Amino acid sequence: MSLKSLLSAAAVTAALLSAPVALALEPAVMTQMLATIDDRQRNGGDYKALIYLEQKEKDKTDNVREAFVYRRDADDKLMILFSKPKTEAGKGYLRMDKNLWSYDPNVGKWERRTERERIAGTDSRRADFDESRLAEEFDPTYEGEAKLGKYTAHKLSLKVKPNVDVAYPVVKLWVDKDSTNILKREEYALSGRLMRTALYPRWKKIFSESKGADVWFPEEIRIYDEVEKANSTIILIKSVDLRSLEANLFTKAWLESKSR
Amino acid sequence: MGQLRLLLQVAFRNLFTSKINILIGGIIFFGTLLVVVGGALLDSMDSAMSRSIIGSVAGHVQVYSDESKDELSLYGGMSGEPDLAVVDDFSRIKPVLEKHPNVKTVVPMGTSGALITSGNTVDLTLARLRDLYKKRQTEGESPALRESIDSVKGHVRQMVSLMEEQRAKSRELLTAAAQDPVEVESLARARTDAFWNAFEEDPFGSLEFLENRIAPQLPDGDLLDLRYVGTDLDAFQKSFDRMEVVDGQAVPAGKRGMLMSKFFYENFLKLKSALRLDNIKQERDVNQKRIDADPTLQRWVKENQTQTREILFQLDPVKTRQAVERLQKVLGSQEPSLEKLLSEFFTTTDDNFDTRYQQFYAELAPLLDLYRLRMGDSLTITAFTRTGYVQSINVKVYGTYQFKGLEKSFMAGAINLMDLMTFRDLYGYLSPERKAEITELQKGSGLKELDRGSAEEALFGEDSGNTLVADATPGLIEESTVFEGGLGALAREDLVARVYSQQEIEQGEALSAAVILKDPEQLDQTMAELRESTQAAGLKLRVVSWQQAAGIIGQFVLMAKLVLYFAVFIIFVVALVIINNAMMMATLQRVREVGTMRAIGAQRSFVLSMVLIETVLLGAVFGLGGALVGSGIMSALGSAGIPAGNEALYFFFSGPRLYPTLSAGNLIAAFVIVLLVSAISTLYPAFLATRVSPLQAMQTDE
Repeated sequence: MSLKSLLSAAAVTAALLSAPVALALEPAVMTQMLATIDDRQRNGGDYKALIYLEQKEKDKTDNVREAFVYRRDADDKLMILFSKPKTEAGKGYLRMDKNLWSYDPNVGKWERRTERERIAGTDSRRADFDESRLAEEFDPTYEGEAKLGKYTAHKLSLKVKPNVDVAYPVVKLWVDKDSTNILKREEYALSGRLMRTALYPRWKKIFSESKGADVWFPEEIRIYDEVEKANSTIILIKSVDLRSLEANLFTKAWLESKSR
Repeated sequence: MGQLRLLLQVAFRNLFTSKINILIGGIIFFGTLLVVVGGALLDSMDSAMSRSIIGSVAGHVQVYSDESKDELSLYGGMSGEPDLAVVDDFSRIKPVLEKHPNVKTVVPMGTSGALITSGNTVDLTLARLRDLYKKRQTEGESPALRESIDSVKGHVRQMVSLMEEQRAKSRELLTAAAQDPVEVESLARARTDAFWNAFEEDPFGSLEFLENRIAPQLPDGDLLDLRYVGTDLDAFQKSFDRMEVVDGQAVPAGKRGMLMSKFFYENFLKLKSALRLDNIKQERDVNQKRIDADPTLQRWVKENQTQTREILFQLDPVKTRQAVERLQKVLGSQEPSLEKLLSEFFTTTDDNFDTRYQQFYAELAPLLDLYRLRMGDSLTITAFTRTGYVQSINVKVYGTYQFKGLEKSFMAGAINLMDLMTFRDLYGYLSPERKAEITELQKGSGLKELDRGSAEEALFGEDSGNTLVADATPGLIEESTVFEGGLGALAREDLVARVYSQQEIEQGEALSAAVILKDPEQLDQTMAELRESTQAAGLKLRVVSWQQAAGIIGQFVLMAKLVLYFAVFIIFVVALVIINNAMMMATLQRVREVGTMRAIGAQRSFVLSMVLIETVLLGAVFGLGGALVGSGIMSALGSAGIPAGNEALYFFFSGPRLYPTLSAGNLIAAFVIVLLVSAISTLYPAFLATRVSPLQAMQTDE
């Protein structure tokens, strides 16, 4: 028996002995899966959504808002503009390049924020509203299959790539085997501590003229704070509009003009 | 009577005869000294600290909601601000409290804190330029405006070239791979004439390029923890007599505004190089330290030499030229680089420090913004409200203030004063209309509340009804009308100009109320009566003394007292054992004497009295000595004062020096303790002495 055949026999044996390894996805396949997830949510053209945001905290009145989310995927731009309740109307966030700005019309000032910033004091982060960039930002490893209610999911562990700024450097994803939609996402600090768990129970698709294909979005996201256990956030994407947006929309001047 | 005289005679005769008696006397002497001095010092510190706490924010009594989770802690607790329930309407509790004959005034209050961001230097300058262009957009261009715009533009250009210089320096240290090509390219573009020539064509576009690509390359923003007390500023100023305005002016009655603590202003908002010079000067002048001998001063000098960026970035081209000229003259140098000149200028030694200090304020300071905030400027405070919303408000800073005698105390200095209206906005009270609006929004969402534990089953289980693939109804979102008539700008102007009536200030929430008494001596009684009267009026309030209200700080003297008393207790237990032993030895030495006395007819009671009286006399004489010396020490300290060695002590000393006093109480307490200890420790030896029989005495060898 040659050394080569001996090695392949050993490999086959090892594969048979450890079933999950045998089923493991190749890195290339995983990266492809992430790229698919990203691509399905991307529009190519402009994107506008009306969202509902609710934050629950222990001993506090619920923090409830409505907001418009604007995205221009082609050049990575994002804007969140709050509309309700009245006292929050006109407050907003604007992402340009690596900058996250927040604006408050009550004081007429812009402030530079970071990826770690809680959006409007909720458990949500910029990435929850932004275009999905998993393939671009993370390196995946396979952790096996997992059941989640009636669904069977691939469980992936993602680690942030060097020099990329994200709120959480380690992420675990449960991706539904049938639909390739994300079901659950756990986010960890560098220390390994679980910080947030997000659940995505409903996904929807809508046909986009500019893309010539469907654009997917999670209709509901439930985020549980794993540090302050009593805190949770729900994001509802109530409707999506894929018409083109004004050319100068993603500028400070435009956002300021909304509250004049 | 005759017997007592005899006993006293014996006692006096024996007082200094044996070494053992001198030893016992010594212990009693030092014990008394300790009790007198320690007790008096602590009492003095207690009253000094009470003056600090009562006179700064607490008043004599504090009143707050009984539904509060935590206890009131005016100086902050171990885990940040205490969780207090709100007193919905201050105007309801005020008359109830004021009805008490011993109550002078009642002042509404609330303490809270926020992190304020300073923004980085480039961001701040760009924001100024943006404001100028916005002004031009609305009001049109005027020569004065043009001049301002050009000046700030020149300043920004100067900053860009400084950043390029720094990048060139770091390039020597970093590999090419460690540099972000986008940053390098952006910086290069911002250096070109083409960029600046085209600036006016699209000023806002150019600004966004600078804000997004250039400013992040200089991350020097600061976060500051700002603690504030929201109060009726007018009533506060009248009630707390230690408070005085230092710079600027008091907030006009009924207006929104802030008085910043002078301590906070100096230590956190002053240009760091200037602050370090001030600190070095103080250490040299007040604490007689020398730069060549003190590592801290040497560190400050070093930091001033190397950390010149704050100054470099502050100066526009014109001021930079002036600064260079002035420094060249002062230093007699031809060096053209401001950075190098500054580094040389800040190379201070004990010999040149005073000259350089004076030169800094005479030559450089007029060109600089010494403080990040000037009197009359607005400060943006962003706070998390009670309900979790983020609330930002611009507050005009009218002036700085201090509590007399507590100028250097960090405790008192951390408190900034704010009007009650702004405090309420930052605290975030939900009006009934706002609550209704929120409930309406929640209803519209159609969401079910899910418990964390069962959420996964509920959302992904067979019965969840949720699907991962479904078609959405294409929506057309119209938002054109939603933001129209936004109240932002209007509210900003309105809030600054508005004058609130006393009724508006009082009818609203407060977290606590400070009560100032006419006669502080009747504190306990008044508190009990206030408890009764508020209860009778149906108000659920907690009434606490200043000491409780001050939280951990208030407990400090109590703790110190306990520690001292414990130390005294241990010392006296040891003394008791030593005295007891010594007396045993003394008694054994006197077996023959006692036996002889017994043989010639002395009763046991006589022997007992003799030994006891001897010790008590010993205690009285040496105790008196200790008390006298202690009183001497206290009177010396009382006239010279004990300097507050560090800044934390200012608060406990209620000023830069503590002038302790000695009360009759301290003396009496010391005396009683000493006599009791002496008597108790003698009981057993005395009892032994009574058992000595003449026969036993005669059998004893000398």
